Amino acid sequence: MVLPVTGLIIGLIIGSLFPISIPVQYAQFMSVALLAALDSVFGGLRAGAEEKFDNTIFITGFFTNALLAASLVYVGERLGIDLYYVALLAFGLRIFQNLAIIRRYFLKK
Amino acid sequence: MLPIKQGQAAIAFVCVILGIMLAVQFRTTQDIRSSVPFQRIEDLSQRLSQTEKERDVLQKQLHELREKPGLETASREMEIVKMGAGVTPVQGPGLSVIIDDSKRQSKPGENPNLYLIHDDDILKVINELWAAGAEAISINEQRLIASSEIRCAGPTLSVNNTRYSPPYEIKVIGDVKTLENALKMRGGVIETLQFWGIQVAIKKQESLVIPAYKGTFRFELAKPVKDGGQ
Repeated sequence: MVLPVTGLIIGLIIGSLFPISIPVQYAQFMSVALLAALDSVFGGLRAGAEEKFDNTIFITGFFTNALLAASLVYVGERLGIDLYYVALLAFGLRIFQNLAIIRRYFLKK
Repeated sequence: MLPIKQGQAAIAFVCVILGIMLAVQFRTTQDIRSSVPFQRIEDLSQRLSQTEKERDVLQKQLHELREKPGLETASREMEIVKMGAGVTPVQGPGLSVIIDDSKRQSKPGENPNLYLIHDDDILKVINELWAAGAEAISINEQRLIASSEIRCAGPTLSVNNTRYSPPYEIKVIGDVKTLENALKMRGGVIETLQFWGIQVAIKKQESLVIPAYKGTFRFELAKPVKDGGQ
């Protein structure tokens, strides 16, 4: 658990040191991609706790989820459907589910 | 201490990316908050250019006035003052508003006064017209000036000490659209009048003539203040 947390802190430092900024009109896509990434990380933690972790599935899942979520929102915007909220809801639900499972594992130990 | 055994390295790597995304998203959100909305910028720049144009026109006017002091400017000034005082006939685009008493029979027990035009009805219309930028107004050929009165005199209306009975024709010079909109506003003067069945007819006119004030000015008590006197 130490390694992921240090990774997160390193990422935060890199992100705040480099002056990268997303144009305002793409901020929505970024936020959905972020949520997808968060979901993937929790999913990975859960799989690690269940001892079912698969490296390739985790890494590919992370990137495809984020990209797919962003592109889904983009298509939705083109079609005039607010898929943004759908993605938010789906990922939010999964994050909570994963968190609950992880918590149970923690408590069992 | 924790049950996670597998995939620490991969999760750590992904966490680095997640951290970068978080930081970027955080900054972007702050940028959105601190930046002025786009529409507001457009609005302000448009207003700025309009004001600049106005300023240029005024500067030009000032320049012209400075260039030729003397008779010409004085006479032009005189003309504007005369128009403002209402002693010269003026013409221009505007509206003619004809207001007549209600044709509706008042029901027994109802106050028949409600169906007649009163001075305050006319005053409300006039007030609305001035507010909408009217430049000159006349009622039945009587030019309204600063000291014009509009008041009920029995069944008639007294304007500039001349009495008129309905229908009253109000002629007004100004921006036709603004004037019309001001009168026809929802819940406005005309709607209120029409509620009582008072007949109001608004006609747009390309050019109408408003006569001059025919009376005389008398100042018995008021005297002009000398320069610097306060």
